[in-house]
Amino acid sequence: MSDHHEFSANKIFAYLIFYTAVEVLWGMFFPRDIQWALWGGLLLCAFLKGYLIFTWFMHMKFEGWIVKGLVLPTIPLIAILLFGNMPDSSFNDDLLHHIGDQLDPATGEVVDLTAGNLPGHGEGDAPEGEEGGEHGH
Amino acid sequence: MSEAIQAYDPAVDAPAHHHPIYDYDSGPPVDRGKFAIWLFLGTEVMFFTGLIGTYIVLRMGSATWPDPDQRLAVGLTAINTFILITSSWFMVKSLHAIQGGDRAGMKNWLLATIVGGSIFIGIQIYEYFELIGHGYTPNVDIFWSTFYAMTGFHGFHVFVGIVWLLCAYIGALRGAFSKENYLRLELAGLYWHFVDLVWVLLFTIVYLM
Repeated sequence: MSDHHEFSANKIFAYLIFYTAVEVLWGMFFPRDIQWALWGGLLLCAFLKGYLIFTWFMHMKFEGWIVKGLVLPTIPLIAILLFGNMPDSSFNDDLLHHIGDQLDPATGEVVDLTAGNLPGHGEGDAPEGEEGGEHGH
Repeated sequence: MSEAIQAYDPAVDAPAHHHPIYDYDSGPPVDRGKFAIWLFLGTEVMFFTGLIGTYIVLRMGSATWPDPDQRLAVGLTAINTFILITSSWFMVKSLHAIQGGDRAGMKNWLLATIVGGSIFIGIQIYEYFELIGHGYTPNVDIFWSTFYAMTGFHGFHVFVGIVWLLCAYIGALRGAFSKENYLRLELAGLYWHFVDLVWVLLFTIVYLM
């Protein structure tokens, strides 16, 4: 049967709520033009919360080497997958596109769907609402 | 003869060490259920990594990207995030209750976990109806494609988790769990915490960054 390990779930929960509150306030009110600080703060909060859930709520702190060994390979695999994508993402300006770009299957041309350029789509087909607030990446 | 059998002490023939003796066991020295669930969760990690990796490629390849708070109800989803984290806490309380022999407490906390998960998915469905009602369907642009792909697959996992917890709750009502026997509840809890963990990352990436 499974082992019983004592820890304060209330304390971990309090930390999770605190970090979530900080993260939401950071994301909503921190200036978006200082992107590295905005993203850094958000990711720090997210990873702290993930660490608490993984270590305490999922009992990884109390597991042996077999269970830890099952999870460990995912770390290099995640790194390989994400860094393997880098040539197609961060390091290649030739691949830059508009978020509304789609391939028109009839002509093979890349068209901007949000501008209503697809055949059979008029200007009025774009969804209502503003496109404002866009920023790099 | 029968007296000799009754007087026989198996410990006499047992090895000097005190490990349990099995007829045959080639498995690892860990609960099979726990081994299986962690192996499964490892594959789930890679599944969501694939989705997030795709999102990174598409976002970094875009000349511009809209501010999420211009398009999404960040405040409502923040409340939803609090609800899911709270339901994860309820799950821990449920497990701690049965570990302490408190069956009634275990059932109550488990029911609270299910209610929390149901509220989360209800709010997500409401958000989808609102967005689609305003014309923001997955084929509008890459922002919406990635948004629906990531939150949709996560929502499906939440739904599966709720069904799993309901099965555990029915088992609890039938007295399936005790202070000595609660592995099935623990496995359902591991899946539920994983769903919570994934949402913590998705909420940050999709709604706040």
